[in-house]
Amino acid sequence: MIAIALRFSIGSEGFALPNRADVWSLRLTNVVAGVSVGMALGVAGALLQAILRNPLASPFLLGLTSGAGLGVVVATYITYLATGAILMSGPPVFAVLLGSFGALGLVYLLSQRRGTPEPTSLVLVGVIVSVCCAALTSFIQHLMPDQGMAVYTRWVMGAISAETGTVTLWTVAGATVAGTLWAMTLGDDLDAAALSDDEARSVGVSLGRLRAVSVLIAGLLTAGSVLLAGPIAFVGLIAPHLARRVAGPGHRWGICATALAGGALVVLADSGVAFIRTPSGRMPIGVLTAIIGGPLFIWLLRREREL
Amino acid sequence: MNGLVCEGITLRYERSEPVISSLSLTLEPGLWAMVGPNGAGKSTLLRALAGLHAPEAGRVLLKGEPVHRMAARHRATRIAYVPQRSSVWAGFDVRTIVAMGRHALPRRDETIERALDGVALLDRAEEPYRSLSVGQQQRVTIARALAQLDGSEGGVLVADEPLSAQDPAFAARVMGLLRGHVERGGLVVAALHDCTTALRCADGGVLLSSGGTLVTSGPAVDTFTPGWMERVFGVGFDLVRTPGGPALLPRGATMPL
Repeated sequence: MIAIALRFSIGSEGFALPNRADVWSLRLTNVVAGVSVGMALGVAGALLQAILRNPLASPFLLGLTSGAGLGVVVATYITYLATGAILMSGPPVFAVLLGSFGALGLVYLLSQRRGTPEPTSLVLVGVIVSVCCAALTSFIQHLMPDQGMAVYTRWVMGAISAETGTVTLWTVAGATVAGTLWAMTLGDDLDAAALSDDEARSVGVSLGRLRAVSVLIAGLLTAGSVLLAGPIAFVGLIAPHLARRVAGPGHRWGICATALAGGALVVLADSGVAFIRTPSGRMPIGVLTAIIGGPLFIWLLRREREL
Repeated sequence: MNGLVCEGITLRYERSEPVISSLSLTLEPGLWAMVGPNGAGKSTLLRALAGLHAPEAGRVLLKGEPVHRMAARHRATRIAYVPQRSSVWAGFDVRTIVAMGRHALPRRDETIERALDGVALLDRAEEPYRSLSVGQQQRVTIARALAQLDGSEGGVLVADEPLSAQDPAFAARVMGLLRGHVERGGLVVAALHDCTTALRCADGGVLLSSGGTLVTSGPAVDTFTPGWMERVFGVGFDLVRTPGGPALLPRGATMPL
């Protein structure tokens, strides 16, 4: 997996190896961001699928992406009100963070039952918070001229941009690796959490604590990925399934494999969008992952029957 | 005192009537059968005994320690639980499921082998749990609980209808495994629906009537009598001597010959 990721990433943006140092560093930025985003989404998806016992769970279930999207339009709108202009540069970091953590916090609090997030409530609350954030986002978009729409539309499709600040990039990448290792230490607990609640508790899993920690790690990882690349569809859903085919149902190595699969997927997709030139510039990476991810998921579904 | 002690426990699910009210009960080490009509609260009481349902009032004590307050990992070294229907979400194989019984304990391969052998599933150990029949899955769960209690002399096994999906031969085999745990100094409390099995195999009996009231408890021969059974189930019972031992047969269900 690592090999695939590296090979394709170096071969991207035209097939020649770069011969200038600054191009190398730009590509390095892209590769680090891509691997980090893919790892984060994959591991977050694996954690959520495990604690919700739901093969369709994905990181965006936590409402965090829609929250971040809302953050982006609100920030764009405030800038517009203050200066009368729409800034076409990338969304401000604090707006994305505020939006994602706001939504995550809301979902986390509203899905509590007896002090821990309860799986069914988490899914329902996540969907509802997402819908509400999306509605507010549309409303604010209507208050702005058309370029305001464009900022959001570009952001929401996801892109790995070489403009990401070095500090942000390496902080998020470091946090992603830390989060992945942390998630791996939960492996045995996550395995036993595949049993019913009573059984998991009876063999010694502190289910409430496990759920809280997992949601927290998944939330932080997803927020990091959204910060680097906006929402990228399907990676968090598919990477855990791909990993399970290779590493089996166990979570300790499953999470490691998921991180590799996710990283590889995103770097591959990023190579793809760098290679496919459209008249209006780079295609957003989220478009490619969705186009490839959808059929891939259906294929997996038909292969396994039971996911 | 090695047994489980219920001190005036009241059990209730959120915003509904109590399932069990102020029930007091002492279970010494041995094999206890819990019998009662559907909906009497047997499963809820068993969950409370296993520390999985916090009583609204009163406490369940194991060696003086309230079971629902024990940390999950600590409790797992002393109490194992077999639910009525087990469920496993992911595609784990049978051996891995049994090994989960050692989640909070040192994993020992021979313990897991022995537990699998006990329920006659050693040859299915590498198959996915979900490919097994309901009865086989139930035996996997029993094996997991026994693996969990292996080496814990005086451990408590709480089992909710462990025979519900077993044919007569396997039912006898499972009762033998439970008896084995008791002989190692353990305590087993199992909900059973077959009164004859309860009478023949158990040391002690607990009779619940609908509404969650404890009707009587004590030695099995004094608990599973036609008189008490009629009071709990509302149908007459005959105590019949058979070559295999005493049998308690309900009168209402027989077809006229």
